[in-house]
Amino acid sequence: MSKTHAIQLNRVAKEYRRDTFRVPVLAELDLDVDEGEFLALMGPSGSGKTTLLNLIAGLDRPTSGEIWIRGQELSQLTDSELTRWRADNIGFIFQLYNLIPVLTAFENVELPLLLTSLSRKRRRDQVRTALRVVGLSDREDHYPRQLSGGQEQRVAIARAIVTDPYLIVADEPTGDLDRASAEDILDLLEQLNREFQKTIVMVTHDPHAAERAGRLLKLDKGRLVDDASKSRLGAVS
Amino acid sequence: MKFLGYVLRNTARNPIRSTLTIASVAISLFLMTMLVTYLAINNEVRGTVKAYNRIITMSSQGFAQPVPIAEVARIGAMEGIEAASPLLWYGGKYQEETLAFAQFGIDGDTIFKIYDEYSIPPDQLKSFQQDRSGCVIGRKLSAERNLKIGDRIPLKGDIYPFDMNLTVRAIYDGPENRDLRACWFHWEYLEEGLKRDFKGKGAGNAGAVVAKCEDGDSIPSLCKKIDTLSLNSDSPTRTQSEEAFLKMFSEFAGDLRVLIRNVGLAVVFSLLCVSGNAMAMALRERTREVAVLRAIGFGKLLILFLVLAESVFVAVLGGVVGSIGSKFLFDFFDVSRYSAGFLPFFYVSWTTALAGLAVAATIGLLSGIVPAALAVRNSVIDGLRKVV
Repeated sequence: MSKTHAIQLNRVAKEYRRDTFRVPVLAELDLDVDEGEFLALMGPSGSGKTTLLNLIAGLDRPTSGEIWIRGQELSQLTDSELTRWRADNIGFIFQLYNLIPVLTAFENVELPLLLTSLSRKRRRDQVRTALRVVGLSDREDHYPRQLSGGQEQRVAIARAIVTDPYLIVADEPTGDLDRASAEDILDLLEQLNREFQKTIVMVTHDPHAAERAGRLLKLDKGRLVDDASKSRLGAVS
Repeated sequence: MKFLGYVLRNTARNPIRSTLTIASVAISLFLMTMLVTYLAINNEVRGTVKAYNRIITMSSQGFAQPVPIAEVARIGAMEGIEAASPLLWYGGKYQEETLAFAQFGIDGDTIFKIYDEYSIPPDQLKSFQQDRSGCVIGRKLSAERNLKIGDRIPLKGDIYPFDMNLTVRAIYDGPENRDLRACWFHWEYLEEGLKRDFKGKGAGNAGAVVAKCEDGDSIPSLCKKIDTLSLNSDSPTRTQSEEAFLKMFSEFAGDLRVLIRNVGLAVVFSLLCVSGNAMAMALRERTREVAVLRAIGFGKLLILFLVLAESVFVAVLGGVVGSIGSKFLFDFFDVSRYSAGFLPFFYVSWTTALAGLAVAATIGLLSGIVPAALAVRNSVIDGLRKVV
């Protein structure tokens, strides 16, 4: 395992069982992502990009192969260790924001910190910092229903970064937003990558969103069909 | 404690469902608390009467059959008996009230020797003994209905055709676990009225006979002796200690203890279903949220704990309303005044109230286990895909 890579996948395969059928989703995939990279995963529906994202995020386990993140091979971890590992290392951004509707923006962002031993004051400081980074300091007492879609996604990003995770995974983060809000979110992700050197893996259908990433990977039928740099993005989309 | 806010917010997420669940637990526990309290009071009263060495003789055929008044003198004259009195249930209506309070025809000369835990001013007792239409009432009856010495108590006969017009001549007092709402009148007053106005219909009946024994050890042999003497008469009797009599009385409706236990189990089971169903619905709506929590690092045990905390909180709220609420309600509002002497007092003890609360917590815990286990068993990925 190379210590220069934030993420390293060695011959990772994934298949699902549907009754007696085996449905292959990813086929012996190799991938290296450096620390501080902003990687976009594109591909048609069913190509395996969300499955790949779930494997990288430790939400799922491969059928075969190794996944190394920050020097840790994930298959070595038990379920509870993996849960703990996700809390320490991963920040999640979902397409549908997935905020808890009965909690305020502040409380939603605070959720991952409740798993830490931080004092109440430290938690408050970190939440306010995260909300300031996403530009929602004035909305901390608002409930999700009182926010626009773009604002909800920014709260979700604040929740993703509040623990200062090693890796941010984003599954269609702009998929449910209008163009202007999507641009704001992409600006924010770019800022996190550029200013805070966060490693980001983003799944998207949107070529415009993928354009904002430093590197684009295209998947088709569970295989990497192209590894394009930002400059060649137009050719693969 | 840092998760308390999250648990409370989830409880308030669907106010109607939570309120209905709380109400179902509260109402059920309220009724359970009353039943258990009824048993506890009977036990308490029974437990304290033993020291007074009293026996009660009734017809072996039951309450509906008379015990001849001659039995009072016969029992009173027996060796080992200090005093005896008829104890005739009149059951009259007071004003528009039915079952207003207990009214007994007694022997004014002996009744306070038999019930010596009661106190009565000597001058009032003498006044009562000298007035054939006089009566003695309990302190609580006097206070609640503002009845004073000299006031009239008209009673309309229900069991007996004779209406009585009694005058309050004395007010007795006694321990709180005794019936301080009874009205005792001269048995002869009713007897004479029945003979005079109704050709003696219903006369000659002592109802039951209450007697005080010289010591507790002699009670079994005295009971046996009394019943043996009447065995071949027209009115065979059944004599037992006051404690046994009260137990028999409280179990007229069957074996109340078994009944209450079975009702209690049925209530607990139905509450488990109600609360469990509410939690299952609540969690089904939150499948995606549970998956998100697990994705961001909440462990299965923590989520299990949060769900159980929520279901216990809802059930305990119901317990507080139903069980603790009943304690304060009956502390404030004494329902025993409407029991016609069947319950000398009615209050919910802290032991009963806290036991109700423990039952509520157990219901919450048990009802949350299955939905919580199902919630954490789902895979995170399936949960995230779920659109509710």
